[in-house]
Amino acid sequence: MQPSAIQPIPPVSLYHTGLLAELRTFWAVVRREWTIFLRYPSWVVAMLVWPVIFPMIYIMSARALAGPQGAGLAVFQLRTGIQDYIGFIAIGTTIWMWQNIVLWDVGFSLRNEQLRGTLEANWMAPARRFSLLLGASAVQMVTMLVFIAVSVLEFGLLYGVRYNGNPLLVLLMLLVCIPSIYGLGIGFASLVIAAKEAHTFVFLLRAMVMIFCGITFPLSVLPGWMQSVASWLPQTYMITGMRLAALGGADFATLWPYIRILLLFGVIWLAIGYTLFAQMERRARRNGTIGHF
Amino acid sequence: MESLIGLYKPSGRSNLRAVFSIALKDWRIYWRYPLNAVSHVLQPIAWIVPAYFMGQAFSVNGKALGFAGYSGTTDYMSFILIGSVIAAFINTVFWGMGYSLKEDMDTGVLEPNWLAPASRPLLLVGRTLTSLLITTITAFSTLAIAALLFGFQVDGNVLSALAIAIPMLLGLYGFGFAFAALILVLREANTMVDVSSFLVTTFSGTQFPVTALPSFLLPVALALPLTYGLDAIRGLLLTTTTLLPIWAEVGLMALFMVGMTALGLWVFTRLERWVRRRGTLSQH
Repeated sequence: MQPSAIQPIPPVSLYHTGLLAELRTFWAVVRREWTIFLRYPSWVVAMLVWPVIFPMIYIMSARALAGPQGAGLAVFQLRTGIQDYIGFIAIGTTIWMWQNIVLWDVGFSLRNEQLRGTLEANWMAPARRFSLLLGASAVQMVTMLVFIAVSVLEFGLLYGVRYNGNPLLVLLMLLVCIPSIYGLGIGFASLVIAAKEAHTFVFLLRAMVMIFCGITFPLSVLPGWMQSVASWLPQTYMITGMRLAALGGADFATLWPYIRILLLFGVIWLAIGYTLFAQMERRARRNGTIGHF
Repeated sequence: MESLIGLYKPSGRSNLRAVFSIALKDWRIYWRYPLNAVSHVLQPIAWIVPAYFMGQAFSVNGKALGFAGYSGTTDYMSFILIGSVIAAFINTVFWGMGYSLKEDMDTGVLEPNWLAPASRPLLLVGRTLTSLLITTITAFSTLAIAALLFGFQVDGNVLSALAIAIPMLLGLYGFGFAFAALILVLREANTMVDVSSFLVTTFSGTQFPVTALPSFLLPVALALPLTYGLDAIRGLLLTTTTLLPIWAEVGLMALFMVGMTALGLWVFTRLERWVRRRGTLSQH
């Protein structure tokens, strides 16, 4: 009897992913993102210049509103009880910039791949797609922590902001902000896959933070209904908590309510982010629209 | 026998056709993403709302008394709204002209488009037309919505203000040519466009009177021709205190228009040829 020339293909899939394979994928994406990041030297400008110039427009507006004789500043201090309006604005705008950059970088990491035509090819790799997104987020997180450190230094040197808080508590506040900010970023990335056009969602989300969370003004000037909306946004607690920690010299007991609620928001947003990503990714593959833009 | 005559025979009509085709293509792409169109109107409102609440924190009965010390008016919101309209056009020059070439590079169509038998500055003009039209529509829609929400009071001569705005915008678009050429050379546009547009809108005083700047930053604002154009427009519409007599600021705008258009075109032509020689047109 002649042996069959053609061996049957075993019905086993080639897709054997394990923890080690996922870590390799994660690391490969980290290396790729890091190489692209360093390839364009404009990151130096973004890292050094943005922290100074973005708050400037608000600080100068506040300076103009205060007036040459300080007539407006007296009104502001009477209304808010806040003396250092520069530090107040610097912290609010830093949190806003952080969320804004995460939305652009993490959300657009997939969109940019769609535009370059590499998303579909990468998603065919035998790896979990979520690992690909996590790799991009990890590089972004490292660069953002450097960005925040540079901001803190520049605010002190150029705007004369004086930090009265415990550095460890400031760092703790910073860490508890991470899950909410990146959970929102990951959820947003999944919307991009479905909607294709991501700009509108970035504008909408960052506008909500800008309008409701008091980045440049005290929440007390908002109407009641806007204050209620603000209480549902984690960035409100990030900004207020960070101002208390860095400028107000608050202790752990004072910060605990902010830390607790930010951790809760973090868990919720990471869960929402992962669920949205899994749903949208499956839908895009089923409809065959991953490569469409 | 092979003809020695090139195919490149541009005429006024063929150039116009090229400009119109590009503008039409951009118009179609723009409306292909309708959510984007909505956000173009609503996004500036999101920038204006915090300014409104910040103004409230410094004001008594809606009057910014401290602000009047720098600007000559207590009507902070009208001051901001005029600045926001001009800022929309400044951003359009940076993003619409500068970034449009980067988009073409990324999607791989810049080199094929550049091979078309049409004048390359005109290709860029074509890319600008749609964004200019859209900015005009959205900026005035935003102004109408913001006027309803926050109030907008104009006491001066609107036509005279428009007469200053036109040469200012033409000069700005002239500058856009040079900026677009720089993007061709550097190839990485996002940060450069973002930072440059932000700095120009900030230092030209779209959001505050430049006299509020610290003395070491004031020369930067005074070196920008846009500062005087914006100052003259506000002086005419809101009777604010101006940096120079209005007639002098009008003269500066006329010079800016002629000088910047000529310089912008010259820089664009030179740098575009340099990029073609190096063969980096399709690299990004």
